[in-house]
Amino acid sequence: MRTRKDTATPHGGPKGHFLVVHPLDDVGEEKIDTENAGPMPMTVSVRLSLLSVRAYLIVMTILVVYHVLELAGLFHHGY
Amino acid sequence: MPETGSHLTPGEPTPSVRGRVVKTPWARNLLTFVMVFGPGLIVMEADNDAGAVSTYIQAGAQHGTHLLWLLLLLLPITYFVQEMVVRLGIATGKGHAAMIYTRFGRWWGLFSLVDLQVVNFLTLVTEFAAIALALDKMTIAPQIGVPLAAAALIAIVLSGSYRRWERMVVVLCLLDLAWLLIAFRLRPALGETIHHALVPNVPAGRLTPDLIFLVIAIVGTTIAPWQLFFQQSCVADKRLRFADLRWARLDTFLGACFTILVAGCMMLAGYASLRLGFTFSDPAQLAVDLGRVAGAGIRTSILLLMVNAAVLGTTAISLSSAWAYGEVRGWPHSLQLPVRQAPGFYGLYMAGVAAAAAIVLIPGAPLQLIILGVQVLAGVILPSAIIFLQLLLNDRALLGERFANTWWNNWINWTIIVVLFVLSLMLGLQVVAPQWFPST
Repeated sequence: MRTRKDTATPHGGPKGHFLVVHPLDDVGEEKIDTENAGPMPMTVSVRLSLLSVRAYLIVMTILVVYHVLELAGLFHHGY
Repeated sequence: MPETGSHLTPGEPTPSVRGRVVKTPWARNLLTFVMVFGPGLIVMEADNDAGAVSTYIQAGAQHGTHLLWLLLLLLPITYFVQEMVVRLGIATGKGHAAMIYTRFGRWWGLFSLVDLQVVNFLTLVTEFAAIALALDKMTIAPQIGVPLAAAALIAIVLSGSYRRWERMVVVLCLLDLAWLLIAFRLRPALGETIHHALVPNVPAGRLTPDLIFLVIAIVGTTIAPWQLFFQQSCVADKRLRFADLRWARLDTFLGACFTILVAGCMMLAGYASLRLGFTFSDPAQLAVDLGRVAGAGIRTSILLLMVNAAVLGTTAISLSSAWAYGEVRGWPHSLQLPVRQAPGFYGLYMAGVAAAAAIVLIPGAPLQLIILGVQVLAGVILPSAIIFLQLLLNDRALLGERFANTWWNNWINWTIIVVLFVLSLMLGLQVVAPQWFPST
């Protein structure tokens, strides 16, 4: 929150009061620069995590393809 | 991705600083919280959408109060996940899709974006299907009600004011307090309700495959992939500041409590139908059944709340899609902008809502297949989206100590991630190969 115990408020109010500003009414705040950060450094934990996501996605894709082929009657059993 | 040197949305006029003057620190804190409040409640309560209503009511109708403890267990889990999203959104001023694209590359960025768009669109279809179902029970023709609902959902975002949209949606969220009145009116046994909410237990002492998958469905309903994208984009669009973090956390926590409370009341409504000997088929039919016993007010209230849940879900999910796509494409993407300054953003929102509504009105539309597709695709995207979130928040070199995860954050979050992976895999297996899980 952007507040200040002002010696003078925008409305010329008394000292010792707080000015509370809505985020959408406030001046811009400098955020962490992610544009120039580039790609995530590939540490061991990052690599392992992405590998596990890839493995999970491969398993899920195989399951879906299996289900579609089964629905199409390409396997001897069906339901 | 184009460079955005400032957190300000291109084309948006620089805001003039105007504020409210208060005299005491507690008044300052209260007013600041009120100003920051919104994204947390909305993301949580919008998750009590049409699918959630159906799932929670079904859980109550089939197992009474025995699964209430699961909701209480999910409260901290959903808070911890969304708290990470808030932190990342405030720290960077960017949405989740944009962060994945920037930090993990084009392939992962496109995968996340495309999967999100597809699962969100299919979910929108289920929301409008629920609206049609509820309106039909109120003898309002879906051909009239669904287009009206779609028009209202489009109108709600076209004001060119984030604040106006937020206020309207917060009111819709608070309307869900009516579930508390409905639960109270249906008079569940208080002792039994409290006991089963606090003590983990298994219905009838048996852990059946059907029960396991209902539990998985409840978990999947309570933590949805669109929530990660929605709240981060919402926080960025609202331009929350570093100093707003603690109030945003409080907003998220209160939202989590609110949504779990409402979910519990939905379960109690389902339980009432079990006690009265009705067989559950869908929430709209349950409303009709309960209305015969408890009065037309209960029936109409549940049906209207079904519509409200679907409307909430639709606006939040549609915005998560529009924000995500706008972020990645570099389009202006803010509710603060008028339509003429963000045509792509608003166009995508309107197209999604209109197309989903239109599909529901097609006779013989494959709604069951769509519901199946939502379950599978959500199971695909959720674990990966949370892993990206966890990795992004462990980048101390970028985020600094203030916003990066602490060691206990990581212990909790990795535990949640592993559990979600396993549950998503089990749900995927159950959906695509149900013959492997014989029901009893």
